[in-house]
Amino acid sequence: MTEEQQLKLQAFLDGELPEKDAREVAAWVARDAEATDLLAELRNTRKALADFEPALKLPESREFYWSKIQREIQRLEPVQAPAKSPSLFTLLRRALLPLGAVAVLAVAGVFAFRQFSTQGGTSHTQVNAMLADVGAIHYRDQAQGMTVIWLSYPAEKKLADNPPASTLPAK
Amino acid sequence: MRFGLFCVSLLLVTVFLFPGVTLAASDTGTVNIEAQLVWGTNGPKPDSKLKLVGPKMSERLKSSPFKWDHYYEVNRQTVPVKINKATTIPMSKDCQIVITYLGDSQIKLDLIGKGQLVNTVTQALPKGELLVVGGNAENSTAWFVIIRQAD
Repeated sequence: MTEEQQLKLQAFLDGELPEKDAREVAAWVARDAEATDLLAELRNTRKALADFEPALKLPESREFYWSKIQREIQRLEPVQAPAKSPSLFTLLRRALLPLGAVAVLAVAGVFAFRQFSTQGGTSHTQVNAMLADVGAIHYRDQAQGMTVIWLSYPAEKKLADNPPASTLPAK
Repeated sequence: MRFGLFCVSLLLVTVFLFPGVTLAASDTGTVNIEAQLVWGTNGPKPDSKLKLVGPKMSERLKSSPFKWDHYYEVNRQTVPVKINKATTIPMSKDCQIVITYLGDSQIKLDLIGKGQLVNTVTQALPKGELLVVGGNAENSTAWFVIIRQAD
């Protein structure tokens, strides 16, 4: 017996065949012993399964039963708190934080600029010796805030006249 | 949170600080320059009329690489110097300086000896800073022309 014939017998037993096919299968079962045996086997199996299935009766209506399940599922799901609107302080802080960071950079920039441009006279000091025999030594004391330009010229040329006591320049 | 408060505080400080900085940086076009001619020596006082420079000035001069024991003030003048206008200050019979205020604390100093331009120095001279131009003199002494912004 082929698998297709077995399935046809199963459909016959379940009453799913059209009337013409059902008559043909009934005739086939009547003349074929193997088909008869298989049909009897299928019928017994279905009866056994039908007897085994427990009859479950709900104490309430079907709709009410499922509504209870639905409520239980909703109860077990985590409840998400509604989003609170931020306070004025929070909004202000959010706005001022980046501005504060910019202020930090600005203050650092101002101090750096003042340190390396205005206060740091070394990089901006220009000394031009106008005479060929003048040697100028440039010295910067950052701690004392002092720039010293030392010239070798006056010792020989007496740039500043000696004073009355033979060492000081005349006023 | 603490860093946030720090930033906010710094922002407020900056808001109040920047106008001050801006005002401080504004140029009035004139600076008062104090010029001193100082004599440095290791020997005895050359002239009884001379007086020692102040202790702060003496300390600053002694902190330089050129060390003398005594620094005497020969001449001191305070003159207003207008922006971009050369101002001549006689320091001694043969020594004078010409100061030009270039703005933004920048000054130009021309050192003139016996009528000849000896040296030109251009640099920033904010308040509290000293510009010292010096040189050797006879008998192991030294002269200094010191300029700064007057208070």
